[in-house]
Formats: sequence, structure tokens, C-alpha cells
Amino acid sequence: MSSMLKLIHNEQLKIYTKKSTWLMYLILAGLIFTFAFSVNYYGVPNEEYQVDNWQQVLQEENQNLEQEMKKDKFKTAYHSYIIEKNNYYLEHDIQPAAYDAWNFTGETSEIIIVVGLLSIIVAGGIVANEFRWGTIKLLLIRPIERSKILFSKYVAVLLFALYTLLFLFITAWITGAIFFGISEVDATIVKDATDGFRSVPLFKDILTNYSFPLVDLLMMTTLAFMISTVFRNSSLAIGVSLFLLMGGSSFVQMFADKDWVKYILFANTNLRQYTAGNTPFAEGMTLGFSLTVLIVYYVIFIVTSWIVFKKRDVAGQ
Amino acid sequence: MTSAALELVHLKKTIGKKEIIKDLSLSIEPGEVFGFIGPNGAGKTTTIRMIVGLISITEGDVLIQGKSSKTSFKEAIQEVGAIVENPEMYPFMSGWQNVKHYARMMSGVTKERMQEVVELMGLEKAIHEKVGKYSLGMRQRLGIAQALLHKPSVLILDEPTNGLDPAGIREMRDHIRHLAKEQNVAIIISSHLLSEIEQMCDRIGIIKNGELITLQQVGETENDNLLHHLQVTPMNRAKQILHEHLQLEATALDGRLSFHCQKEFVPNIISKLVENHCAIYELTTAHDSLEDQFFELIGENTIE
Repeated sequence: MSSMLKLIHNEQLKIYTKKSTWLMYLILAGLIFTFAFSVNYYGVPNEEYQVDNWQQVLQEENQNLEQEMKKDKFKTAYHSYIIEKNNYYLEHDIQPAAYDAWNFTGETSEIIIVVGLLSIIVAGGIVANEFRWGTIKLLLIRPIERSKILFSKYVAVLLFALYTLLFLFITAWITGAIFFGISEVDATIVKDATDGFRSVPLFKDILTNYSFPLVDLLMMTTLAFMISTVFRNSSLAIGVSLFLLMGGSSFVQMFADKDWVKYILFANTNLRQYTAGNTPFAEGMTLGFSLTVLIVYYVIFIVTSWIVFKKRDVAGQ
Repeated sequence: MTSAALELVHLKKTIGKKEIIKDLSLSIEPGEVFGFIGPNGAGKTTTIRMIVGLISITEGDVLIQGKSSKTSFKEAIQEVGAIVENPEMYPFMSGWQNVKHYARMMSGVTKERMQEVVELMGLEKAIHEKVGKYSLGMRQRLGIAQALLHKPSVLILDEPTNGLDPAGIREMRDHIRHLAKEQNVAIIISSHLLSEIEQMCDRIGIIKNGELITLQQVGETENDNLLHHLQVTPMNRAKQILHEHLQLEATALDGRLSFHCQKEFVPNIISKLVENHCAIYELTTAHDSLEDQFFELIGENTIE
């Protein structure tokens, strides 16, 4: 097993010795900072409720909103949403929690798509680049099976995704702490769902925010890895995977009325559709169905990569 | 069974319907430097890629120290160090990082060994610079350093002198001879530059259109009726003497006499001519260089 660890170590070194990788982290950090800055700039949420008479503040706000609604019909939708939310706080006697590092971290889960993007870039290059550099030849003439070399590369990609995710989480938390301070993690927040508002522990919210996008992340990274292995072309791998990552969900929306759409990968990557208060994408879809579809796609991606990599004749460019 | 370091047994490679390598058999002894020569597209690199397992073998087998690379690839390839075509390294890593990278892929390579090969190839000064800044010659050296890491008993070098300056080529030649002699490594060198190979190799195989058309010991063709050129005055008298006393038919060409004779005859000819007061300015033996033979054998380079 130690030889496998060495192989993985090699792959990771190759990822992290490249300057472009560090540029990715810099961009990610910049994005988080910009996010925090704009939240701070446009007003920290719930700040006005951090007083003893918060009920009164909420009621006054509701009255103001109602008056505005009478003057301007266009604002109705958004204002009534806020009023409803405020009423929920009042009815359940929950003081809107102070916005802090944890809230901010939870919201930065929006940036996980960027982690996906970076992982796709790494996955798309990890096999294709060896062919482009010509180093694949020196890599394959070692007393190591090809499947082990490919496995070490796949593990290195997954580790990169994991580290980047951790980087996002930690940087977001630190940035949040600097901008908004730290209060308790066991706070609850009020979220809206299709069947009305509900109160959720903040910690659970962060956890779900961070875990559901992992499905997309894993599938798209694996797809990029497969294209990289099969076509030995990193631009193609990155391009296709990125396009599908961004556009996959709109594609399935377009064909939402078709029967076959539920078998498409992107109809199944969002497992949040099975959580309470949400409705599945198409009729007859269950969590078990989606998991099966996901596993089938995953196995196809992996098996294709392995077979092609093992059988390939490494001839001249 | 012979104790061949490397043996190709009826090796064949077919891609689609095209036969790239047609029934290649060859065996190389430990300590032998074998030159593998052929025009571009003849199948040199394809053969080398089959030996190191980069492409699959259609038929036949490669035996490295008696181990089949088909059935026990790991054991067979363990004995091989190679550079295939250009010595491509990771440009964003230093030479040392590259060496370490490959060392991790093989068992039993110590840090001392790594330093040893770096010193052997004369790379101490440049080893901590990024490979992207290396010249082709330096990369070539690094390529050989990485191939030697695990002390292979078979070394395969594809165009090893490519990109080296004359001093570097000479050094490389010494390295190669040293490895073969002192460490009994079997070395295969492929090239299309014959003059270089000639000085490095013990034996040469010429490949054309996927077939081994000749195998030859270097320095073998001595003594057979060599062509001599003689600059002498007076020419007519000399011609006559050669004809009468030595039964040699000489032809006058460009102010020189040309004739075929065996090496042993030469002193005799000279003394006869001197006795008869002919002034000799120059006598040369025209070595049929390997290059001439090569072109003779290869003919036109047609890629089938």
C-alpha cells in the first residue's frame, strides 16, 4: 500500500507545484472576500433586530412595508415575503439571530460551484497533461500497473476537491469572523420552503448547504476525469464538464415534460429535491431512483476511464 | 536458453491491416551496446515502445532477463531503464523534483543513488533549477539520469545524443561504454545518425519497413579487396608496374590511380613503386563507411 501512497503523493505534488493551482486558491479567496465585503456594504442582515425591543422593530417594519405596498404595487411580491417572514418570527417568539461568521460560511456554499469549476480544471488536466507534456511515457514504463497509476490520479483529484472545499469553508469562516464577528453556532435560522417558513438549526443548515452540492461536484469531476482519460485533451474535458455543470439543470428544465428526462444525470444530481418541503423534479422519482441513476452514471464514467487507460497504445503525438 | 539480457521473439505489431513490425527477432547480450538504425518510419520507435510496454504486442514476445513482458510485465520492466523519444520532464518542477518523482515510483532507490546519478550526468549545478529552463542537452542528461536510477540491466536510449554539443556527445559515448563495460548493462541505442552510433556500438541492426534487414558487428568489414587511391608520378609507368609485377588493374581517375587489393599487398606495392623510381605523394584506403552501406541497404526510404 505504501507504493500507492507514494503515487498519490506524486500526483498531489504535481498539482500543487504548479503556480496555476495557487492562482485558483487566490481567486477563490478573492471571491470570498468580495462576497463578505458586499454583504457588509449593503447592510449586515438582522443587525437592526439585535435590540431588546426587537418585536417592536419587526412590527414597525411590517407597517412601513404595507404602506409602501399600497403606493407601489410592483413591490408586493417581495414585501409580502418579508412580512410573512417577520410574522413567523413574531408568532414563534424567535429573535432573528445576529449575522456572524457561521451565517456567512453557510451562505458561501453558493461558491461551491467555483470549487466544482476548479476541480474540473484539475481533473480535466490530470491525465491529458501527461500526454501533452509527453511525460506519460516515463510514467508508464515503471513496474506499476496502469490501473494503479490511474487510481492514484483519481484519488489526487478527489483530494484536491476536498482540500479546496475545506479551504473555502475555513477561509469563509475567518473572513466572516473578521467582518461580522462570531456568535454561537447553535443558533437557529428561519428558512422558507415551499410549504412555508420553518426554523432550522444553523449548524444543520450549513451542513446541508455544503453536502448537497457534493453530488454535482463528484459527478462532474469524474466526468471531466473520464473525458481527460479518453480524449487526452484537457480543454475538451474542462469545456464539456463546465458546460454541463452550468447548463445541465437548464437542459433538463427544457425537456421537463418529456418522459425520458428523469434518466438524465442532471435531473438527479440535486438530491435536495427529496428533502422535506420540496417536490421531486419529475413524477415517480424517488431518492432510491436518483441514487441508482447516479451510481449507474458513476460506474460508466469510471469503467470507461479504466478500460481506455489500460488498453491504450501510447504512440507518438 | 541463452543468457540474453533482452530478447525479441518473433515480434509483430499490426495496426488495422497494416503490419508495422514484421516478425522481428533479436537478442542482446549483457554488456553489449546495440545500435538500432533505420530511417524515419521504419519502426524503431514502435519496437522500443513495445519493449517498454507502451504499446501492446500483436504477436511474439519480449523477454527481459528471461522474463516475458507479456505475462510478467512488472518483473520484466523492473530491469529496464529508458528514454523514449524526447526526454520530456515536468517543466514546472526542478530537475531534483523530477528525479524524486520517478524515484518514488520504484522500490529501493535511495537518496544517495539519486545524487549519484545526478553527479554521473554532470547535473549538480542545474539540478535545482526548473526543467523548463533546461536546454535540450540538459534534459537529455536528466532523462538518462532518471533511466539509471534503479540500476537497470537493460538500458534503452532513443536518440540519446540528440541536442548534445560535440563535447556532450563524446561524454555520452564514454558514459555508455562505461556502463556497458563496468556494470555489464545491455544498452540499445536507436538513431538515424550513423556516424555517432558507429563509434558507440558493438553491433548494429538496421531496420527498414518493420523488418530487420541486417545485423552487423561494428568494424567487421576489413580486409576484403579494399579500394585504394594512389597519387603518383609518373602515372603511366606506375600503372604499368602495377599491371606487370602485381597483376593489378588500375584505372586513372582525377589524377589518381584507383585499384582494388587486399590490405597485405600495400607495403609490397609501395616498395615496388619506389624501386622503380615512382614518386608517391599519397596512398589512401577508401573505407566503405557504414553510412554508404546504410544507404546501399536501405535504398530509397519508402514508407509503405
